[in-house]
Amino acid sequence: METVPIKTKKQTIKKTNPSLYKTVWRWHFYAGIIFAPFLMILAITGAVYLFKPQIEQMLYQEYYEVNPQGEKISVTQQIETVKNEYPDAVVSKYRPGESDLRSSEVTISSNNETLTVFVNPYTAEVIGELNSEDRIMNKIEEIHGELMAGTIGDRIVELAACWAIVLIVTGLYLWFPKKKQDLAGVLLPRLNKGKKIFQRDLHVVPAFWITAGMLFLILTGLPWSGFWGTNFQTIATNAGTGYPPSVWVGSAPTSIVQTKDVADVPWAAETLDVPKSDLQGLLPLSIDDVVDIANREGMHPTYTINIPSDKEGVYTLSAYPPKAQDEATIHIDQYSGAVLADYRYDHYGFVGKMVALGITLHKGTQFGFLNQLLSLFICLGIILVVASGFYLWLKRKPRKEMGAPKSPRMFKMGPFFVLIIGLSMLFPLVGLSIIVVWIIDLLIIQRIPVVKRVLNA
Amino acid sequence: MHNLTSKGVVTVKKLKAILLLSFMMLILSACSLELKQDVAKQYKKEEPLMADIIIPDSLSTNRDTPFQVVLTQGEEKVDSADYVHFEIWKQDGSVKFEMEQADEVGNGMYQLNKKLESEGLYFIKVHASSGDSIIMPQKQFIVGELSDSELEFLQEGAVVEDGGGEHHH
Repeated sequence: METVPIKTKKQTIKKTNPSLYKTVWRWHFYAGIIFAPFLMILAITGAVYLFKPQIEQMLYQEYYEVNPQGEKISVTQQIETVKNEYPDAVVSKYRPGESDLRSSEVTISSNNETLTVFVNPYTAEVIGELNSEDRIMNKIEEIHGELMAGTIGDRIVELAACWAIVLIVTGLYLWFPKKKQDLAGVLLPRLNKGKKIFQRDLHVVPAFWITAGMLFLILTGLPWSGFWGTNFQTIATNAGTGYPPSVWVGSAPTSIVQTKDVADVPWAAETLDVPKSDLQGLLPLSIDDVVDIANREGMHPTYTINIPSDKEGVYTLSAYPPKAQDEATIHIDQYSGAVLADYRYDHYGFVGKMVALGITLHKGTQFGFLNQLLSLFICLGIILVVASGFYLWLKRKPRKEMGAPKSPRMFKMGPFFVLIIGLSMLFPLVGLSIIVVWIIDLLIIQRIPVVKRVLNA
Repeated sequence: MHNLTSKGVVTVKKLKAILLLSFMMLILSACSLELKQDVAKQYKKEEPLMADIIIPDSLSTNRDTPFQVVLTQGEEKVDSADYVHFEIWKQDGSVKFEMEQADEVGNGMYQLNKKLESEGLYFIKVHASSGDSIIMPQKQFIVGELSDSELEFLQEGAVVEDGGGEHHH
């Protein structure tokens, strides 16, 4: 019973390059074991985060919904109410609320905390506050993006995503049928060929089916990663084909008005023996005017106003609605109200458009519920493939070894070496991690016989 | 194991390789690209209107006071703008001149004369439009002496209410 499947496998392998097969297997094996936990975390948190709109709507309904009654009160007045309740806070953002039934949001920072204060726009009453750190979805997002470990976490997630590409490529090679055979074991699991075959098919067949989806999620997720993503965005922006500066990388423009023309209001009045000319000058726009400009320029109703924190700053209107085509970022001079930059989806370069679409597809918002379901299906598929891969390893693993096939060194495997070098150039973190592994191999694994034996190196 | 001397040679070689690779790693991990200086020019660019509001140095009551604005767009002075309106009001609400069209003087300058009858803290707001750009800069100025309530207003650094909007206090 035991020897039959192994024998057939050996026969099939003989037709291709046996040592190349072993090398690829070995790489797939180690990368799989090392990154399985991270891929699992990414798939689970991703699956939950997909439903953020529905989950938050349910959790925060009491904060979100208001009864429309008459005219809305001026934004200045709404913010004034918040300032009265939180005297020490700095107001950084205002979000008008996309419908008549939706509350306004004022984002403030106070004592190093970021709070969202929900305001009823008809009465200017404060409905409640949420600390950004307490929001469940923010936590999920933080785990998904950086394992709650800041920059190091971000790099680990990025590394896992890049290595997942290596896993996909090596996996496809291992999956690719070596001889003409029917679809069983390739596109469909073999149910009646014994336990070992079924264990193998449980990993390989679903993995093949979700390959495209998984690759899509990785490639659409990578552009927002900290290292690869930032560099990628910078290259695309510099080439004129990405997002315009300040949408993703680069800072916002500054107000075109000269600071010397700006009236110095508070302190000048306290010491009134300063010349009166200092009390003359330009004043910042009221936020009501900014709201008017937003309406005039046709911002998507889900937009947020970023309030400048210094004299040179600009008001930034930004909207990241469900569909990429509705995105907009507008910078407004805080003294003249002039539109300094108006960046819509149509103004992005080709790469920028692709990334923007990729993001809304990745988040599952681009085409609504169907998008969410499809992405959920891919996440569940990844969970199944990671779990079955791990299970496959446990079942086949010899007791005292890792169970990886022994293989010649990578440099001797021409095509595979070229592939790894190629992937390393495309994803420097992969290259970096390979160098690290190589150093560990040289310094530790090859020198300590027990480790060498366990790892079958 | 078989040949100690050759193993020793390999180790030195390996050490060199490790040093070299560590150096490469340092470079790799440090390399972060930067944005080019004028990369914004490759994307859609706005040419915003700029306004220089000119208020006479000495202001006094009961005298025709010329208020002026010079409009520029890019390098050009803007003549025949779509509209240039002035709006002037006093902080305490006792004086309020509705929006009024300013006269074109030429060379990008527009002017409106107003007689201010009481001392205090004033605001002037210019509404101007040319091509795609619409602006609404606003300046404050003082005529004569300030009242106590106006002083208090300045000291608070209170949000300046829009001339067109309602006062909600």
